[in-house]
Amino acid sequence: MMIGEIIETMSTGFVAESFELNQPPALGSFVVVHAPSAGPSVELYAVVTNGRTVGVDPSRRPIRQSTAAVFDQAIYEHQPQLKHTLRTEFSAALVGWATEGRIRQHLPSRPPPLHFSVHTASEEQVQHFTHSLQYLRLLLQTVAEVSPLQVVAANVREVFERRDQDRDWLCQAAREIAILLKSDHEALLNVLQAIDPGEADPANSALARQSSAIAPDPSRRGSRP
Amino acid sequence: MKHERLGVVVEGTFSAGLTVRLDPGATTEQLRIGDFVVLEGQHNRYFSLISDIQLRVTDPRLLSDPPREGSSFIAQTLAGTTTFATVEVRPMLMLEKVDESSPSELLDRSVGPQAVKTIPMHFAALRQADELDFATVFGREGGKNFALGTPLSMDIPICLRLDRFVERSNGIFGQSGTGKSFLARLIISGVIQSKAAVNLIFDMHDEYSFDKQTEDKRWVKGLRQLFGPQVLIYSLDESLGRRAGRNVDVTLKVGLNQIEEADVVLLSEELNLRQTAEATIGLLHDTFHEQWLLRLLEMSPEELELFCQSSGAHPASVSSLQRNLKRLQRQDYVVKEASFSALDDMVEALDRGKHVILQFGRHNSVLDYVLVANLVTRRVRQRYEDKMRRYEETKEVADQPRTLMITIEEAHKFLNPAVARQTAFGTIAREMRKYNVILLVIDQRPSSIDPEVMSQLGTRVSGKLTEERDIDSVLTGVANRSALRGALESLDTRQQILIMGHAVPMPVTVRTRPFDQAFYAAIGARLQTPEQAGDDIQDLFGDE
Repeated sequence: MMIGEIIETMSTGFVAESFELNQPPALGSFVVVHAPSAGPSVELYAVVTNGRTVGVDPSRRPIRQSTAAVFDQAIYEHQPQLKHTLRTEFSAALVGWATEGRIRQHLPSRPPPLHFSVHTASEEQVQHFTHSLQYLRLLLQTVAEVSPLQVVAANVREVFERRDQDRDWLCQAAREIAILLKSDHEALLNVLQAIDPGEADPANSALARQSSAIAPDPSRRGSRP
Repeated sequence: MKHERLGVVVEGTFSAGLTVRLDPGATTEQLRIGDFVVLEGQHNRYFSLISDIQLRVTDPRLLSDPPREGSSFIAQTLAGTTTFATVEVRPMLMLEKVDESSPSELLDRSVGPQAVKTIPMHFAALRQADELDFATVFGREGGKNFALGTPLSMDIPICLRLDRFVERSNGIFGQSGTGKSFLARLIISGVIQSKAAVNLIFDMHDEYSFDKQTEDKRWVKGLRQLFGPQVLIYSLDESLGRRAGRNVDVTLKVGLNQIEEADVVLLSEELNLRQTAEATIGLLHDTFHEQWLLRLLEMSPEELELFCQSSGAHPASVSSLQRNLKRLQRQDYVVKEASFSALDDMVEALDRGKHVILQFGRHNSVLDYVLVANLVTRRVRQRYEDKMRRYEETKEVADQPRTLMITIEEAHKFLNPAVARQTAFGTIAREMRKYNVILLVIDQRPSSIDPEVMSQLGTRVSGKLTEERDIDSVLTGVANRSALRGALESLDTRQQILIMGHAVPMPVTVRTRPFDQAFYAAIGARLQTPEQAGDDIQDLFGDE
């Protein structure tokens, strides 16, 4: 699905304007740009790292519109001109590209062209791309307004849902992140806490068994002060 | 062949060993200090021991903030990634890799494992040793390879090379209750069966000849029952000869003329002798020569005074010596005068391939044991020395005396630092196999044995030891002590032993084989062949 148009582009990523006001793609979700190519088609994969809604004219800050009777969504219905004076942008970091069914998880040689359209990634595209987890390394190194740790956590959560809550994948991704953040325990805990799916359901008993060997024995907790 | 990989080499030195990082799936609970593991290098296979296991973290901050009651998901993610284990591995032997398509060819090849001369590079894989590895290193059962037991976690034999075993004096150690005497019985059975050496066993507690009940209430057969007339039983106790089904071949007497100064000095503690005793005995010996003890014991007070006047001995010391030595005379087996013919016959029997067990019966005090064992051994060793000299003159194979293995229990009585230089055992232990006589030393306190003797022991077999000094003593002169120390401390009390030294290619922890029907069959089967019977007849009656 087309969701926006590129309005700023560079080797590490791009900024796009969303077609829908106040509806940028979810933080950490995958977006795809079809890059021009002489040969087979090339799809550039990027992860959304930021979203914001601002005034069209940077010299004029938006002002308060709500009254006692009109607020929240009603404001937009009462003041249709807002759709033209405001705009929603999102930034995305390039994490790889695909051509002829092959996935490459490193930066493409050229940035996507300006004004090209941005699409959400389909279920198949997400599943195909996240088969390998090398892109997490790239994503952790992005420089953006939002902390890369939160972006990575959001991405993993997003992909987990898009992969039908595939716990095996989640564990694999968590271990990959643990390896990447091996020398920064605090950062690692931040990410792991953000992607923790909570207690395993009984169907994933293997996971539960394994982890119970590691986690402290719950029956002993009472003895702690 | 598929192996379970445990981890990869990440650092190390030739001198201190290699560090292996365990794979996330491998847990430290499946590894023990002293375990036999294999490192797969590019060109060589390294047979190694685990010497240490460490738990590590990539970020030290984790130590102060471990995942507490939080989610199992986090704990599971950290395990094997930011928290991991490393294993210190000591290569002991190496083997060049060849085509492994046919395992039998692999075992038959002439070049066996060599001493370690190189180490593998980074990322060489570590795995558990499998049956083929054990067979490659420890050989197959049969011939001079005697199966002593199995690895702790596998059911394949670990072999002791008996031909190498009898090249040096050896030791069996362990706390009491670790099965030293059963282990000795096992090894001696192997030595008898393979004819690697003849045995002289000083059986202080009457354990080796006939069946004996173990601590778990089973009856196990004695050597006489297993090997029949190949084993001769000598006894100090006449009453032993009268028991049904437990006949004794020879009852041994000790003559006062056979007891030498050194024997008495060795017994200083038991006989309560004073420090002046040695000098007094010297004076007695100067005057009466071989008859000194007999003459001393028969001296009347007047004769004693006369002797003191003529020799310059102190009358009080002589009379106290006389009093103390009368205890010797009171032993039933001590007679005024005995010839050495009984002992010389024993040496001849040994030379014909017989094995001798000397039972002490009710004379099983330390005094009896030390006196008789030392006296007998001294004579035997002298005869062996004569035989060896004759062999060196004639160079006839027939004249070469058979290797004799003398088994002594409570070895520290003969081999403690204070007396080791004076006893026949000390001499044998130090001069090694010069005269084809070796010792099998059995003791529960190896630390009380002279370190010089300990260092001469070729093969050491040890059950569990906990006393620091005993462990140090057993490991005297052994490379890679830290791994072996850990292994010794973690042995079970029963049926688990550590073997190291000359008769095994590398130290190994073994579950000893049970002394049961299967073992009797393995040993007895040889006796029933007609050729064997022919050999026995020849052994018994000589060549004529």
